[in-house]
Amino acid sequence: MKTQDFIESGILESQLLGLTSKEEKEQVRLMMLADRSLENYVIDLEADIRKYFTSESVSPPTAVRELIELKSFKEKHNFNSDNRTGRTQYLDVEVNDTHIKVHKFWRPAFIAVFVLSKIFLIAGLYYYFKSASQQEELLRLKTQIEQVNR
Amino acid sequence: MNELERINNGAGPQPVAKLDSNLSSLEVYDKFGAMAYGIILQILPQPHLAQEVLISVFSSPQLRSCNSYPFSFAVCVIKLARSKAVEAKKKLTALVPVDDDYSASLDSSSPQTIFDLAFRQGFTPDEVAGKLNISKSEVLRSFHEFFKSYRNV
Repeated sequence: MKTQDFIESGILESQLLGLTSKEEKEQVRLMMLADRSLENYVIDLEADIRKYFTSESVSPPTAVRELIELKSFKEKHNFNSDNRTGRTQYLDVEVNDTHIKVHKFWRPAFIAVFVLSKIFLIAGLYYYFKSASQQEELLRLKTQIEQVNR
Repeated sequence: MNELERINNGAGPQPVAKLDSNLSSLEVYDKFGAMAYGIILQILPQPHLAQEVLISVFSSPQLRSCNSYPFSFAVCVIKLARSKAVEAKKKLTALVPVDDDYSASLDSSSPQTIFDLAFRQGFTPDEVAGKLNISKSEVLRSFHEFFKSYRNV
């Protein structure tokens, strides 16, 4: 492929933008080897691409810089402390599991609590209704005694 | 030794301009932060998401590899910002599917449209070619035309 055809094919642009396949990358490499005049074109193209994207720049909020500074400081600090102590690096692992694990003895304990709560509930209801009926009986006897006394 | 230095094998003209060497994340951010944020916003218009992506770009270990990138640091940052933003956009669209509404632009396969689809929408040149019913070489040629027209403006 002639240099001009290669330039016009747009492979260099797609290579610089990260849109090329492995074969195209290899093609660029071979063409760069074959024709050194392409280097000047690539330099100009890089300048154009940079100019284009610089013209569309947007200033990010200042907080972003502080966060990046903090992150890079942390990374540096971790790296230095690991180098000093010779410790292995720990990876931050995010756990998405919503379950908790408890000892197996908790199972009979939960069952016992459940059974006891049912027993107390039934007993409570039994004694409640029993005392209510006793009070009714007492009231009935009282009225009977009063009627007899009259 | 980087890719182009290997190509040049230490002889003849210097490899492609590479003025920025071994910069720290903050130095790179001060230099290219606004440019990267502009690129990310073009792909992800939501400012809070764009800012998260921007932070991930400049705290990414991949940024260090730009020091040995064969082309300029700016181009490496452009590629990295785009790839991170496209990745975030894909994750976002996987959660909240958005209908592809390219019907209006499908008629015109102008270099601008093709560049938008490939760079901003995150489609590969093959996918763009399929969408617009043109060949991949035409897609690549459109990139050249796009920057050529920009140069002439």
